[in-house]
Amino acid sequence: MIGIHKVGLLIAAGLIVLYAFQGFYPDFIYIFSNAFPPVIAGAAVVTSGLSLERYWRKAKGQFPVIWLYFTCGLFLWFMGEAIWAGYTLILGVELPYPSVADFFWIGGYIPLFVALYLYVKLFGQALTKKMLAVSIVTAVALTILVTVALLMPALGAEKDLAAIAMDFAYPILDLALFSVALLGLMIFWKGKLGSSWLLINAGILMNVCADMLFSYTTAQDIYYCGHMLDVLFDLAYLSFLMAFYVHTKEF
Amino acid sequence: MTQRMEAFKKALMEAIDEGLLMLGESGREVIYFRLKQSYALKKEDAPGNPEIFVKCLREIFGSGAEVIERAIIRSLYKKLGMEFKAKKGFGFMEYLNEARKTFEQKAGL
Repeated sequence: MIGIHKVGLLIAAGLIVLYAFQGFYPDFIYIFSNAFPPVIAGAAVVTSGLSLERYWRKAKGQFPVIWLYFTCGLFLWFMGEAIWAGYTLILGVELPYPSVADFFWIGGYIPLFVALYLYVKLFGQALTKKMLAVSIVTAVALTILVTVALLMPALGAEKDLAAIAMDFAYPILDLALFSVALLGLMIFWKGKLGSSWLLINAGILMNVCADMLFSYTTAQDIYYCGHMLDVLFDLAYLSFLMAFYVHTKEF
Repeated sequence: MTQRMEAFKKALMEAIDEGLLMLGESGREVIYFRLKQSYALKKEDAPGNPEIFVKCLREIFGSGAEVIERAIIRSLYKKLGMEFKAKKGFGFMEYLNEARKTFEQKAGL
């Protein structure tokens, strides 16, 4: 199990270094930042799909259903990444936002939320009032923080209503996932599945930061494909991929 | 006495089987596999070694194990014809010991 963590850390470090020194290879980073997300998102779909296949083989109980939702959600995100790459690399659209890709990304949140909810609900009796309170307070505090941080830049920018709605929708949907995933982390923290839930939470939090920064930088008109913030999206997929791998290995 | 103990163990084995089914059949098999791999404990030996069984569950699920333990205990009480009542401060072992005592008392009459 240490092996996968080492590999994950090496890939993460490699990605950060690659983005950090992008000044030396701007053309390459443009192509890489658009082409790599569908690859890593596809890898996450495959990992989740393999877990689904494993749990489905002896289909009974909630786990196959939960993994079906996880795989569906990640597949929709993969579609979003693939469409974005198609727009930028094939059609030459500089910033396809908002676009059809957003339809898939936003759609992906629904099955992912259902998957997390069903999983946590299965072990819901283990939740204490304190755990619920921590989760609610954290989620509400972060939602207020995100909304306040984005309010001025998003509303001040010359953007259409759809783009402004997207600017808020992504981080808030991320936080909706986080509020449930945090409960999962608290339930399984002391067990071997805790490491899988830690990775899920890390992935969601990276998406929160990435989506916030994306909204901010597009509002300020300083976002470009290959921006340092793009590495957070890649790291989030890497976290999800590792989370599903670890989960299947441990259980 | 031995017969009574065997009947109790059989009921517990069935309850464990049923309780673990909340994880699905494959999930149940994983638990039995882990018991054998980590604690050299066969599935049929689990009722005789409940502490190890619980330790194994907690190692995988952390606090989530309580839910599985509760499902097993509920199933056991039902099999023994006893009414399950949740008690503050009671864990798997406390419920199990209470069930065993009540079962022995009942069978002794």
